[in-house]
Parts: sequence; structure tokens; C-alpha cells
Amino acid sequence: MSAGLNLLLVASAALFAVGVFGAVARRSAVVMLLGTQFMFMAGALAFVAFARFGLGAQHGSAGAAMALFAGAVAVAELAVGLAMAAVIYREHRSFALDADRG
Amino acid sequence: MPLIGALPQPITSAPLVFFVYLVLILLIGSALASVLLRNTLYAVGAFAASMVLLALLYLAIAPFLLVALQLLVFTTVSAVLLIGLLRGTTRLRTSSLGRLSPGWIIGGAVSSVMFALLALVLGATSWPVQVCCSIPEDFGQVLANSYIVGLAVLAVILGSAALGSGLMLAAPTLPSPRGGGSTTSRSPGGGGSTTSRSPGGGGERNVRR
Repeated sequence: MSAGLNLLLVASAALFAVGVFGAVARRSAVVMLLGTQFMFMAGALAFVAFARFGLGAQHGSAGAAMALFAGAVAVAELAVGLAMAAVIYREHRSFALDADRG
Repeated sequence: MPLIGALPQPITSAPLVFFVYLVLILLIGSALASVLLRNTLYAVGAFAASMVLLALLYLAIAPFLLVALQLLVFTTVSAVLLIGLLRGTTRLRTSSLGRLSPGWIIGGAVSSVMFALLALVLGATSWPVQVCCSIPEDFGQVLANSYIVGLAVLAVILGSAALGSGLMLAAPTLPSPRGGGSTTSRSPGGGGSTTSRSPGGGGERNVRR
């Protein structure tokens, strides 16, 4: 039994699928933001996995650097998204993003 | 000399493999819980747990600087932003317990004991950092030398995100075209409608007679 590139890529794909589900199927702005965060996390995990176990492992720091950049961009996106969610809540008293709301 | 060397071997050490599998299962589970839970506070808690679990996974396969950044910076900033949003909008309020109440003291003592135990185990066994192999140690130098432009761009992105979110939060709320923040009443004769802003400013209410 071992843990290698395949396992981490499958986990990354599963995490990305969870993020897509949260971003598409839920109406809450906060949960949609969390879904996008999970997609960022999945991408960062794939970068790190390739850097550790893939063909580019001779330059393993590159994958970790990409993961670091992805995490920082995700935090920036979360800050802007939460500010938008706060504005939506001020106006509608709800986090729900629904086009049919009166 | 081949251009591409041999692929790195997968992790075969039994404790580390068990650790990776356990963390991955918990990571997927907490991510699912985060998007499925109805309670926003619980969803945020599950999200923070996912961030911590990802940092634990990085501990086995990534440079330690990335682990520290993921654990201390990204997780903390994300959790603070989300909790701040919840405190500013919904009913999440500060605890009614006093700072020196027994609940806080017991919780602090248990947390301190757990952290001390974790530090003792890590210090005594160097697990699992030393178990893993071929982890580049010069990650900080690579970042400072090869990715200096990326770091600069990242600083600009983070600064503009902080500025934009601050401006968005500081801006006054405009009334929506559908009547957000205002009360619209239609006259009985079906003529014109009058719009008046409610004192609270936040409620959305359309009244038709």
C-alpha cells in the first residue's frame, strides 16, 4: 500500500467536485464562496502533488510556489466575495442569491 | 543523460500512508459537510477544518513554509473573514461568559495541554516531517529569487482586494429598484405610487393595496 500521485489527484478531483457542487447547487452566497475556495484548494493540491511525485519533481519548489500563489489569490477572492455578501445581506436581509426573490 | 529523471517513489512508509489516507478522507468529508450543512456557522467551521487538514496533508508532501503559510495565514485569515461576516450580519454574537469564567479557564487549559502534547510528540519524534524524503529545503530562496515578480503581483492583488472590500463595506447601501430598503405603497385608485424610506433602512417590503 502506498500513497502517490494517483491518490492525490483523485482526492484533488473529488475536492474540486465538492467545490463545484457547492458553487452551483446552493443558493447561499457564503456557501458558494466556500465552494470556490474548495476549487482553489483542489488546484493547489494538484500542483503540490505533481511537484512532489510527478515529472517535475526535480524542481519541486515550483509546485509549492504555485500552491502558495493559489492560496493567496483564494484569500483575496474570499475577502472581496465576503464584502459582496455583506452588501447583499444589508439590502435583502439574507445571503440567498435567488433571481426570483421579490 | 536523460532529460527526465526517474519518477519519485510514492510514500510507502506505513504510518505515513495511513496518515495521508486518513487526512484525505477527513478532508473530503469536511468539505462535503461544509457545502451540505444548512447552518452557516457550522459550514464555516467545517471549512476551517478543511483548511487545517490540507495543511496537515502538506506537512507530509510539501515544504514546511507552505505548511506554515497554509496553517497560520490562509486558515486564520479565511476564518477571521468569515466569522467577521457572520458577526456583522447574522445573530452571531460574542459569548456572554466572562473572561475569567470557569468555561474559558477549562477550555484554555485543555487547549494548552493538547498543544503541549503535540509539540512534545513533534519535538521528540520529528514526525512526520523527517519521515518524508526529497523535500526541497530552499523554498524561501526559490520564492525570493525565481518568483519575485509573482510575489510583487501577489502583493498588489492582496492590497487591491483589501482596498476594494473595505470600500465596498464602507459604501452606503443604495435602495434596490425592487424596493430594497424602502417601502412602496400604491394608492387605492391605482394611480401613482409613493415611495418612502423605512427608518431602519434595511427592510425590504412592498405593500400593495
